[in-house]
Amino acid sequence: MTAKIRFFARFRELLGTDIVIDVNGKKSLPDLVKGIAARNREGYDAIFDEKGAFREFVILMQNGRRIDTSDAGTTPVADGDEIAVFPPVAGG
Amino acid sequence: MVDKDVVDQSNLNRQILHSQADIGKKKVASAEEKLTALNPDIHVNIIDTTIDESNAARLVGGADGIVDAMDNYPTRYLLNDIALEKKIPLFHGAIRGFYGQATTIIPGKTACLRCVFPCAPPKEVFPVIGATPGVIGTIQANEVIRYLLGNGDLLANRLLIWDGMCSRTEEIAVARNPRCPACGNETSGKDTRKEGA
Repeated sequence: MTAKIRFFARFRELLGTDIVIDVNGKKSLPDLVKGIAARNREGYDAIFDEKGAFREFVILMQNGRRIDTSDAGTTPVADGDEIAVFPPVAGG
Repeated sequence: MVDKDVVDQSNLNRQILHSQADIGKKKVASAEEKLTALNPDIHVNIIDTTIDESNAARLVGGADGIVDAMDNYPTRYLLNDIALEKKIPLFHGAIRGFYGQATTIIPGKTACLRCVFPCAPPKEVFPVIGATPGVIGTIQANEVIRYLLGNGDLLANRLLIWDGMCSRTEEIAVARNPRCPACGNETSGKDTRKEGA
């Protein structure tokens, strides 16, 4: 069972994108994304805080549906999921 | 046009109304000069000030819409509030390095800025590749024109993402949040969301 993680903007620079990951043993969205983010310290720190939770400004989508970061910890993952992780940009 | 800044050399890679000779000048004055040189038939109302809670509604006045050319979310959220209050569109755009985003907020119809970005990213000195605001600014201008004409499909409930590293655009569908502190009908009272680290 696999899922695809898509990162955007700064997260894409640090971690790449369109990454297929094994879902087995990963119970929630954070678990899934951490499986990739853990490969790059800077990428991990950009997405997760000191407690291992998604930083509040991170935008999460699961199969095109917005997931609030406060709900991510209890959001299950399934075979075939496409997860988008996106940081809003601020410059002008 | 509302801006408190003076032209700086670091602006010149993207703020194309200004040139080397304008460094140190008030941006609004430099902008007015170039715009009226391009088109003498327009009237440019320039306001040399900082946008804040005490003046934002007055500055927007009876405008038909607000074009977001800001570089920070606190002021963007303020403009979002004003757009909702006056029921006028907010044409949002933002950039960082090679990446950009844009969406058009129509009060009462689409997600507002708070629905899309409930929490601002951390403050930073952001890198800018000049071409990126060129792309996003052009998209915003295109949105304004089509809104005024009533033609085509706006970026309504569509967050356009520009990836300048591979020259691709993608979209994320966004939707109104009924519990949005700015526009939701399931909340009341002042927004107390954090503005980011």
